[in-house]
Parts: sequence; C-alpha cells; structure tokens
Amino acid sequence: MSIEAINEQLLRAIGVGVALLGRKTLQFHFHNDTFEEWFGNPNGPATLQDIFSDFDVEELNKSLNETGRYTTEVKFKKKRRTMVIALDFTATEEREPEIAVLVCQNITRIRELESMIDSYSMMVERNTREIKREKEQVEKLLLNLMPRSVYEEYKTFGVVTPQLYEPVSVLMLDFVGFSETVTALDPSVTVTELNDIYSSFDRIGEQFGCERIKTIGDAYITVAGLPDPTPDHARAAANAAIRFIRYLERRNASHPHQWQCRIGLGVGSVVGSVVGIQKYVYDIFGPAVNHATRLQSFSEPMQISVQDEMARALSEQFELENMGVQSISGLPDQPVWRLLDNRKGIAASV
Amino acid sequence: MSDRTLFEKYGGFASVSKVVLAFYDTLLDSDEIGPFFDDVDMSRMVDHQTKFISSLLGGPASYTDVQLRQFHRNLDITNAHFDELKVVLEETLANHGFEPEDIQTALDAIEARRELIVD
Repeated sequence: MSIEAINEQLLRAIGVGVALLGRKTLQFHFHNDTFEEWFGNPNGPATLQDIFSDFDVEELNKSLNETGRYTTEVKFKKKRRTMVIALDFTATEEREPEIAVLVCQNITRIRELESMIDSYSMMVERNTREIKREKEQVEKLLLNLMPRSVYEEYKTFGVVTPQLYEPVSVLMLDFVGFSETVTALDPSVTVTELNDIYSSFDRIGEQFGCERIKTIGDAYITVAGLPDPTPDHARAAANAAIRFIRYLERRNASHPHQWQCRIGLGVGSVVGSVVGIQKYVYDIFGPAVNHATRLQSFSEPMQISVQDEMARALSEQFELENMGVQSISGLPDQPVWRLLDNRKGIAASV
Repeated sequence: MSDRTLFEKYGGFASVSKVVLAFYDTLLDSDEIGPFFDDVDMSRMVDHQTKFISSLLGGPASYTDVQLRQFHRNLDITNAHFDELKVVLEETLANHGFEPEDIQTALDAIEARRELIVD
C-alpha cells in the first residue's frame, strides 16, 4: 500500500470529521467517514450551504481572507441527542485551486459536562447561601444568650472559661402580681406584652452599657461592668433602673394592661459562664446577684432598693433616701437605700 | 459518621457525575423513556438528570413533592415507563459499583414517589 493510500485510510477512519472544500465554490471535494456519519454524504456538487443550511458564508469568507481560519459550532439532533460539533476551517496557501480544510470535532460531551457543572455549582452555591443564612441565624440566637466576647471565645475554643468579674452592678427586676396577671390575660397577650417590655428594657440597658443576662418569666436581670469592666457600672445600672420605671409609667398611661415592678440593685463580684452542654445558657452567679435579688423582693412597687455600698458610689449624682438598717431574708442586717428619680422632683415643682 | 449519604459514600460529585452522564446516555437511547426528552433542550436535560441523581443519593439537591408533581404533570407517564426508569437506574448504579443494598435504597426512594410521577 502506498503512503498516499495509507494516509487516505487514516483520514477516513479517524474519529474527527474531515472535509476538503473549494475555497471559492465551497463545494465538497473530499469528506471522511466520520463527517458522513454526522452530516450525511455531500453527494455530487454539494456545497457547504447544502449541508449546513444556516451557515454564515459571509463571515467564513471574511475570516478566511483575513486570518486564514474560521471556527464555529453547529448543533443538530442525532436521534434525540443534541450533538455539538466544532467546525474549524483553514485556508491552504499557495495552491491552485485554493481549498479550505474543514476539521470537525465532536464537543457534545464537553458541552454536556459544562451543563452538568453549571447545574451542580448552582445547587452548591444555593446550599452555601442557605448554610450561611442559617449560620447567621444561629449566631444571632447565640448572641442573645451571651455577650459577644463570650460568644467569640465559645466559637474559637468550643468552651467558655468561667470568668470572675469584679466589681459589677446587677439590676434585678420583677413584676408585681405577675401570677395574677398571667391568669387574667390571654397567654399570647402576656407573651406579647413581656416581649414588648423586655425589648424596651434591652434598648434602654444598651444605652447605658448594661448587658441583659437573662429573663426568667417575669424576672429580668441585667448587669453593668461585664464583660468589659467599666468604672461607672453603678451609675449605669442606676440610670437603667430609673429609666425602666419611667418607661413602665409612661407605658401604663397609654396601655390597657398595667405593669408594676420592683427593682433591686446590688454590687460586688460575679462569675460569668456558659452553663450546660446541650442546652447551654450564659449565666452569672455571686454576691452581687444575691444582693440584687433580695433587695428586689424588699422593694415596694415601682421602687428601686439599693445596697449600701452601691448607694455610696451613687450619692453624688443621684437622689437617695436612707431606709435605715433593714433585716432582709437571706442577707445580714444592713442599711438599705431607695433610689429616687430626681427628674420627678423637678417635674412636680414645674 | 454513620449517617453519611450515598452521595458522600460513593465519592461525592467527582464520582456521581459519571453516574449522571451514564444515566443520561441510557435514557436518551431508551425507546421507552427517551421520547419524553425528544424536545427537551440539552442543558435542561442535563440539569434535570444532575439534580435527579444528586437528590436521589442525598446530594445537594432536593425536590419537594409539590415540585415533582408539577414537573411531571400532563406527561402521560405510565407505570410501565416508571418501571423502565427504575430498571435503567438500577443498571446504571450497578455498573458504577453501587452495592445491592444501596441500589435498593435508591430504588425505594423512587418507588415512594411513584404516585407523584405517574399520571
């Protein structure tokens, strides 16, 4: 077999479609088996347009003249499968008659794979967005349970080391006759009311640098001087306490449901930590919490009772009434002070 | 982790992609089911199969029952078509080294949705 014959055999058997066309006429001079399998047999004087009906001949000629090459894609259905074939034309040089070599590659699989990657990456991206959203929600939830610095520690190390904070001021608030209120009101009304009030307390506390620790039913505990120490923690807690009462008074004036509270302010050290493994909660313990709790129950409705040590720190800026030495259950006998809202005195004199 | 999905067990998308393409080829060649895809655009068809196989194996796709019913509405899919699809899927998974137990899990998952697909 001659070299020419072998070449022709190779050209016919190769998995790439090959055809030779007259450069000017675009008539087929030769095509191999693969070409015929894809596009049929260009019998007789068939031209490019006969085989590819929508072919942009103008573009082909322009490109061949300028660069000697032209590349495009054709799609067709074979049975029901969409076939995508890349057509690559090259003009031969310095030969008469001028011919164009057409090489056709089957890129169906590449296109199918591209579609599959598109499909898959879109699914993954959507999932990633969902996971991110969920993560943000979890973060938001956890930030409601613990101070941000504690959350950051928890996120980084998976545990929170209990910390001693000293000194801090603890504000404990409890509603008067809450049990009666709960039985009298519709449960959803109670929850809506509490939610509204606690949210306002949170906002007020935040203004003065108090961090809400938790609510247990009708008890609301917030603390100043934690997690970041502040020298004026006593003032922050006192300011928040006075605003809580003012807020409730204003609210009671315009709302059908009346809420009366008692507040206790204690000062001292506390330990703050995340408690629990599955159902964890950030909590604080210590003498300051104990003082605030006891003083709260000692308070008259809409009054604020203050621990002696704290009253001394507040005496310069706040109006305090000396209640004398009191015996309060769970605490040794000690002087107790009542924190007054000095703005009320001004208001009364106007 | 004991609750990993088949998608993870068989090597994630790197392996599952081969199952998708094989399944796609077989579906197109099938004279029973193939005609349903006569007029479906290639990228949509590939997208559909990618999501179908991924969700079936517990990958990052999932269809609600309402969606499945909506997609297959008015297609005149019979029980015979549905059975044929199961056969094609079973063969494809077996050809890609899936264990019989896992193939059965996948087939059960499809069977559970028969009523949503068949008219």
